[in-house]
Amino acid sequence: MDYKYIEQLMERYWEGETTLQEESILRNFFSQDGLPEELQQYQPLFDTRLGGEQALGDDFDERIIRMIGDEQQPEVSSSSQARLISISSRLKPLFKAAAIVAIILTLGNAAQAPWNYGWDNPKDEYARFHQQQAADSSALLNPVQAENIGDSALLPKPEATHYIE
Amino acid sequence: MKKVTFRNDVLPLKNELFRLALRITLNRAEAEDVVQETMMKVWNRREQWHEIDSIEAFCLAICRNIALDKMKKAENQNQSLEEGHDAPDSSYASNPEEQAVQKDRVRFVRQLIDSLPEKQRSVMQLRDFEGKSYKEIAQILDISEEQVKVNIFRARQAVKQKYIKAEGYGL
Repeated sequence: MDYKYIEQLMERYWEGETTLQEESILRNFFSQDGLPEELQQYQPLFDTRLGGEQALGDDFDERIIRMIGDEQQPEVSSSSQARLISISSRLKPLFKAAAIVAIILTLGNAAQAPWNYGWDNPKDEYARFHQQQAADSSALLNPVQAENIGDSALLPKPEATHYIE
Repeated sequence: MKKVTFRNDVLPLKNELFRLALRITLNRAEAEDVVQETMMKVWNRREQWHEIDSIEAFCLAICRNIALDKMKKAENQNQSLEEGHDAPDSSYASNPEEQAVQKDRVRFVRQLIDSLPEKQRSVMQLRDFEGKSYKEIAQILDISEEQVKVNIFRARQAVKQKYIKAEGYGL
């Protein structure tokens, strides 16, 4: 049998040029019995037992799973703790209530304004408004003019009521 | 992408991780600790699993780093534990079952590999015994593919030369 191919592979193996496939060919080749003397001496170099054995049993798996279980335990409690820690989220209903109260108060205040004016006769209301406006406009004039207008400012009142009628 | 689960994808890597850890620490008990720590670390980083291309390479990289840390700590505590000079722990060879099966020559080659510098040892373990590509090994060791090749070359040459030399003396 010609071992040239194997020898070639070995040469390339030493140089680090072989592929994984070629390396497994070498290993398979050297795992068989009855090799020629010159190759037999290299057998231990390709022995698959060199890689080490399967060493960790099922008890190792159990231990790891148990440790992971321990790890998981505090995590569960920490997530429930996290819910306790977020005070703001716990007080959310209170905030909502406060916001609703604030809105009611604001609307209440706004509604208060028309009630302040009472339910007087709208005609009187309008007349008073005009009176007020006249007073304001007389205030804008210079003091002398204002004095002159002073008395006559009351005059538009009957006119205004008349106008409304 | 396939969903990674601890029980189906990570836990079954234990022996592969153990072999690498053993190749680095050269001590069974230490290697088992390393694998355990690796498992816990991988578990604690489970949010990242979906971002990882190869969970296997990820685990091996973590395993190697933990093993190296352990070696460094041991070195600090005990100066005699220098690389290349530490006597390989023979506890795994003293297993009577294995002893019966094991040929002296295979044991000798194993010792040769264990006496290599750590990087060459790790690279050889991953390539020759775990069948990893240069690219994967580069990823695990966080070095370039070129450096992986150089380390493979040196490791194989060193083992071969020491072995042939010893054979010459009639092992």
